[in-house]
Amino acid sequence: MTTDTITRPEWSTIIDPVLQKELEQYVLVTNWDKLLGMVDTVYNWGRRSSLWPLGFGLACCAIEMICTASSRFDIARFGAEVFRGSPRQADVMIVSGTVTKTMMPTIARLYDQMPEPKYVISMGACASGGGPFKEGYNVVSGIDKFIPVDVYVPGCPPTPQALLNGLIMLQKKIDGEKLDIPIIGREGHTAWYRGDIDRDVPIPILGPDLVDLRTVELTAERTAQGLIEAREASLPKPLKIPAPQPEPEHSPEGESTSGRPSKIELLRARARGEQPAASPDEPAAKPVKKLKHAQARPSLAWLGDQGLVELAARLDSHLGTETARIIQAALLIPADRLAAVALYLRDANPIRYDYLVSLQSVHYEDCIEIEYHLDSTTNPGALIELRVRVAEPDGEGEAPSLVGVYPGADFQEREIHDMMGVRFTGHPNLTRILMWEGYAYHPLRKDFLEPYYEGPTKVLPSRVDAGKGRHFRAEELNPHGTNFKAPRDFADWAKLSSHDDPKAHGLIPAGVELTELSTDQFVLSMGPQHPSTHGVFRLNLRIDGETIVGLRPVMGYMHRNHEKIGERNTYLMNFPFTDRLDYLTSMGNNFGYALAVEQLLGDDAKPPERAEYIRVIMAELTRIASHMWSIGFLLNDLGAFFTPALYAIEERELILDLFEWAAGSRMMCNYFRFGGVAFDLPPGWIERCRGIVNDRIDKRVDELDRYLSENEILLDRAKGVGLLSREQAIAYSTSGPVLRGSGVAYDIRRAAPYGIYDRFEFKIPTGSNGDVYDRYHVRLEEMRESARILRQAVRDIPDGPILHGKKNYHVKVPTGEAYSRVENPKGELGFYVVSDGSSSPYRYHVRSPSFINLTALESMCLGHTVADVVGILGSLDIVLGEVDR
Amino acid sequence: MIAGMGVLRGLMITMRRGLLTFHRDWRAGKALHRRGGGALLVDLFRTPSKGSEPTVVQDHLTDGLFTVEYPDERLPLHERFRVLPVLIYDDHDGHVRCTCCHICAKVCPPQCIWMSQAKSPRGTVVPLPEDFYIDMDVCMNCGLCAEYCPFDAIKMDSNFELANYERHQTHVFDLQDLLVSAEYYAKTHPEAWSSAEETTKRQKLEKKKEHRLQKAIAAAETSTP
Repeated sequence: MTTDTITRPEWSTIIDPVLQKELEQYVLVTNWDKLLGMVDTVYNWGRRSSLWPLGFGLACCAIEMICTASSRFDIARFGAEVFRGSPRQADVMIVSGTVTKTMMPTIARLYDQMPEPKYVISMGACASGGGPFKEGYNVVSGIDKFIPVDVYVPGCPPTPQALLNGLIMLQKKIDGEKLDIPIIGREGHTAWYRGDIDRDVPIPILGPDLVDLRTVELTAERTAQGLIEAREASLPKPLKIPAPQPEPEHSPEGESTSGRPSKIELLRARARGEQPAASPDEPAAKPVKKLKHAQARPSLAWLGDQGLVELAARLDSHLGTETARIIQAALLIPADRLAAVALYLRDANPIRYDYLVSLQSVHYEDCIEIEYHLDSTTNPGALIELRVRVAEPDGEGEAPSLVGVYPGADFQEREIHDMMGVRFTGHPNLTRILMWEGYAYHPLRKDFLEPYYEGPTKVLPSRVDAGKGRHFRAEELNPHGTNFKAPRDFADWAKLSSHDDPKAHGLIPAGVELTELSTDQFVLSMGPQHPSTHGVFRLNLRIDGETIVGLRPVMGYMHRNHEKIGERNTYLMNFPFTDRLDYLTSMGNNFGYALAVEQLLGDDAKPPERAEYIRVIMAELTRIASHMWSIGFLLNDLGAFFTPALYAIEERELILDLFEWAAGSRMMCNYFRFGGVAFDLPPGWIERCRGIVNDRIDKRVDELDRYLSENEILLDRAKGVGLLSREQAIAYSTSGPVLRGSGVAYDIRRAAPYGIYDRFEFKIPTGSNGDVYDRYHVRLEEMRESARILRQAVRDIPDGPILHGKKNYHVKVPTGEAYSRVENPKGELGFYVVSDGSSSPYRYHVRSPSFINLTALESMCLGHTVADVVGILGSLDIVLGEVDR
Repeated sequence: MIAGMGVLRGLMITMRRGLLTFHRDWRAGKALHRRGGGALLVDLFRTPSKGSEPTVVQDHLTDGLFTVEYPDERLPLHERFRVLPVLIYDDHDGHVRCTCCHICAKVCPPQCIWMSQAKSPRGTVVPLPEDFYIDMDVCMNCGLCAEYCPFDAIKMDSNFELANYERHQTHVFDLQDLLVSAEYYAKTHPEAWSSAEETTKRQKLEKKKEHRLQKAIAAAETSTP
């Protein structure tokens, strides 16, 4: 083959083809595409170097996203520091965290409002594919089911460096884009420049479940066919157990627990030559294993058996016989006398039970039981538990509302109404709180099976069955191919509309008429996507001019089914899930959950000395990190944009480094185990911790104090704003810095000491006015006290083992119930666990401080302005992972 | 107190911090360098090659934080830092340590591990995984699988740079994606590798393998003649 030479007539010079090619490449631009390619390069460079992310965070990953924007990782180096509050000014949406069905319509709307070109980074496992919460009934299995995603950043959560890596990947993608230029007919990868392309996604609808408009006909058809019900019929259902009975079933040697002979008994009988006395009717029934019972006590520190008997007698004598019956160290109260009993306990009893600690419910075979834990702020540590039993069938349970006696019951009763379908008569506003009005089920009932339900407990059979040899996505198991379930008889498909707002149903505040001015009031919906609501939280405000005259919090946008998933997990599996409750304080959450199960395990899981010290060190470091964050972002909310927050994040980062070093993750530590901690401290850790605790933290807290505490703007915005009186704070069941800010020195570490907190010297700082400033100041002082505890702990920490017994993944938990209380940075964190002796908890409930503190929000905000609401909400220091669970 | 003094004092503190940082840098001779260690203040065109980026330690001794210029500088990877699980094989004989005992699948909280047991041609069970899947869109990086693995076969990798453009084809890792050599693990986890616990476990495993080999040889010898 001859090489043809190319002759250019106008030059009449013969050019070597290789040279020609090189010249074309570098000097002579011979075709349009290459010329435009240079334009592409410059244009893309400009676009990729100024990506403005939407300031939009969903869950745990959002915290890492904020850290990426902070000075340590400094996303500004990539030109992406301008987090925009409005989608209309943003280029890239970082979907950071679990996408819930309740939040999905909002996300789709935000995406539609972003101008082209727009990019989406899916940050973390949850946003990419559902993540650990995928099996939940309120979780979308990946944001790409609804909006197109450009870059996936795996990890749970991805560290800031991993997110930067994702951003670099997105920049590379933009670098490689060929522009569409419709005028000259050039086609590339940027379809949005062509006029005929509409990339808007239809807004999904909250109907009986999250309905995707693009597939609504198919969905309706499959629902009508009853495919879901057909699938569920073949699956094993969760078993219900009977409610606890007065006398614990003591099982002396050789006697079985349930009337049926045990296996050993049968064998012995056979050995003696007798015919076993098993009833022939139920041969399939598994011989019940002899179950161990945990010591019956509502919590570690409580009134005591003797006191309870006296209290029951007192109630009987004052309110008529058979008012109180002692069942498993708790008082069973008939539903119709509950209000009278509560009033008596609050106002007339020698120990005034003025503080409703926690309220939860359990679905038993024969009833739904509602448990009230009560404590006294004047006589702390005298906790008692009341039980009320209501009818079991769905929607028939009815109990009197205690909102009149304990206003703090408000949200908790709504939660039980939402999750169990119990009605509370006399509740002022009984609407669903976490799911939306119109959602077809009451999800925490044992007979509700989720769309991705596979079995009652983990391990799910498909994972370990030999020979399957392939991986299934959960979507493949559901006839709809997605996380969807609706009742077969649902027919109102045509009535579904994107314009409905079922989340806010019944939550439009009524407001107060201000008489002096005849102005119109209007309702302002603030959130769920709002930079000042600390997550996906929404406030419906009724305002008169600028003045708040009514307020209703709307939540559930982050409800990721923690409790339902927790009831399928084995006991050990719940540890990493508790990390994701209040993702700023994972060590504290671990602590609370470990205590709850250890209370059931009794002496079988007593942590060794060193482990106890490590636990305290970790918990107090967490407190400092969380309070730092809280103060920094309170100042952010008040307008001191970012400098205090950056100073605060600095200390938090150093503490997170310690966590990562010891536990393996910055945020999701998963460090505690039943009877100790997972790993010993690595060599060198305690020295660095000593350095930070002894030399650094106090100085930094002092600096923050000098920097902020007397700042006139802060004083103006915080003093006298968001007042919560002592009585209100107790009545609303607030806890933590909110309660102490109002002058109640109630700290679980003192009121009901756990771990080894009784060995340390520390003060309980309190405020006097109960305003935003006091709550801020209590947090500041608490950091000093934490540093004091830490100095004692790192001084005294002994050597030795870190775990009671051997590492064991299958924990045998005795039957019974336990409620553990820890003083988490946000307030009292409680875990209520009911064990039926199997490998997973029968009921698992989280008493979340952020959630209950929000009950007081309305009364704190009335009469203030919208700008103050932001500050008040900041001073409550909520974390949505914990509010919605 | 005079009105406005609080604000002014706050401003002094921020100024003090700014000056102090510069002063500190100057005295340490780092004012014209990148803190984490690059040669120039601005070295746009000289980026360290992958794997040789300087590591930046920050603690109370370095007086807190300064910007870590990822990707050219990195934070230290602590040994326990965990991202996704990997499976380990021994370099010298290619032996996959996993015996398919299912314990990791049993402790996995979000149930993202799927595996099936290998079978010999005769249908008997072989202590090896036929296939092994980890769905990284479900994995919560909790490390329980590695913690409870009795054979030291599954470990948490510390590679976090996993961002990509597609998930349906790539985010379910199969056996081939998951396998890493013991040498790699020894490099990323030197402390754990040399710890007494893992060393004895390795020795035990070696003995077991040796024993099995001898048995197989003996069996082969008796059957062939």
